[in-house]
Amino acid sequence: MWNEDVGRLGPAVTDYLVRALSGEEFAQIEPTYFFPLGGVAVDNDIAQFPESRFFCCEEKKLIVFRSNSPRSEWYRFLDTILEIGQHYCNVKQVFAIGGMIYMGPHTVPRQLLGVSNTKEMRQTLGHYNITCDLNYDTPQGQRPTLNSYLMWIAKRRSIPSASLWVPIPFYFVELDDPRAWIKVLQFLNTHINLGLDFAELDEYAKKLNERMAQLRQRSPDIESSIQKLESNIMLTQVESEQLASEVYQFLSE
Amino acid sequence: MGVILHREPELENPTLLACWPGIGNIGIIAFDTLKNEVEAEEFGEIEPWDYYYPSKVSIVDGVINDIEFPACKFYFKKMDGKDLLFFIGEEQPAEGRRTYAEGEKAYKMANLVLDVAEKFGCKKVYTSGAAVAPIHHTVKPRVWAVPNNKKLISEVRSYSNTILMSDIEERGGQGNITGLNGLLLGVAKKRNIDAICVMGEIPIYLQGFPFPYPKASWSILEVLSTALDIKIEMDAINSLIITHENDIEELYKRFPDDMREQLDKLKDVTYGKVAEPGPITEEDKKRILEDIDKFFGKGPTEG
Repeated sequence: MWNEDVGRLGPAVTDYLVRALSGEEFAQIEPTYFFPLGGVAVDNDIAQFPESRFFCCEEKKLIVFRSNSPRSEWYRFLDTILEIGQHYCNVKQVFAIGGMIYMGPHTVPRQLLGVSNTKEMRQTLGHYNITCDLNYDTPQGQRPTLNSYLMWIAKRRSIPSASLWVPIPFYFVELDDPRAWIKVLQFLNTHINLGLDFAELDEYAKKLNERMAQLRQRSPDIESSIQKLESNIMLTQVESEQLASEVYQFLSE
Repeated sequence: MGVILHREPELENPTLLACWPGIGNIGIIAFDTLKNEVEAEEFGEIEPWDYYYPSKVSIVDGVINDIEFPACKFYFKKMDGKDLLFFIGEEQPAEGRRTYAEGEKAYKMANLVLDVAEKFGCKKVYTSGAAVAPIHHTVKPRVWAVPNNKKLISEVRSYSNTILMSDIEERGGQGNITGLNGLLLGVAKKRNIDAICVMGEIPIYLQGFPFPYPKASWSILEVLSTALDIKIEMDAINSLIITHENDIEELYKRFPDDMREQLDKLKDVTYGKVAEPGPITEEDKKRILEDIDKFFGKGPTEG
């Protein structure tokens, strides 16, 4: 899972799994070749550094990988992840998690979309309430995602794999979206039998909903915009930007 | 990280024409046109994943069907003692946000291309690109040629409508060729293989726009016709020129009047030592070029 994910989906899900399952870090990928190392970026007053860490939750036979997205040598980087998984940990399946921007409201239930690298994996996903009948070609001028690339390399290594996508409301892109995190974790919990307890996350999601309800009450413009989204009416660019900006400011307080 | 050869044709001292995209896609349009014109056959490719990020994923009914990479393929044509090898790279293997290849990957790719060329007995290499120059788009572009050794100078001099770096005022024979179209010349030199880069002129004010400039490709094809001693039908490139000339005229009309007034003067500017003196004075010319530099922020460059 990638640190730069929308709705903080990747980092939140990995953090939660590692904490809840007492995962222990056992390997890192060195940043040389994959990241520009001409200094450090500073974010929220803190110096940042690219990380690519593997955690082992031994009891549940789960390996968690969390990383910044590589900036070069993508094939080598993704193949290294799979090499460590396959050679050292004997992994039998790989799931890549990612958020995607959704132009609808936060009040609809989160969905899970799945893309597989084998028909058998697609059948497996079909047993869980996952939309997995997508037809898609990368549009001109765009590039495939890292998760798609990872799955392609996994296929070359004969590792069944799926990427799981949660549509995240566009005004939560830079914020937490615990309902999206829960959606992914629920699937992993059932499929791998992790025995997770969602009370803490449910509480957080409830609080966030309450905060959003407060904001709607306080600001007629926000209420109007969200109502439009709930009625399947597209917002103008100005309305969208205003909604994203005000939600960000309010929830960051 | 290697080359996949689907077949191994028997060739007689073939000439290699290798090209990657660059400004106005001038070189790649010229070489691709020639490749299609002689009906060259594909026979190999460089494994792309170590050089490129994928360009396309295709998902059918929820399952990844395929991933495509930018193509980098070899082609050949047997031509009675004038055999040709082509290498066409759809992208430069640039890292990060750079447009042009450089460093280890570029060097490796250049060596792979020449490994294949030498395997088939290649003795000469042509690459191609763009020369950004203070010319007007209604003027026939010249070709700047850069050989990788002295003994090729006389050959370059025999090409029509072609100049060397030393023919360009104030350059003193100096310059740079950015990316793999340049690097391949250097790697060929290291291996003692004759190589020439032929660059078609593109007007300075068109270099930043994302459309091709086949008019310069035409000039390159004209030079290649002489250099390779083959007749090249120009119908395909002529129709491409007509298509894009309309786009350029439309763009030109949208430039501010004062800018267009300055640019129109480029019709009369000659910046090469070998050209006939133009109808404007040296002082006028200096001012026009300075004004254009202000608009577009650059002098003549190549790559």
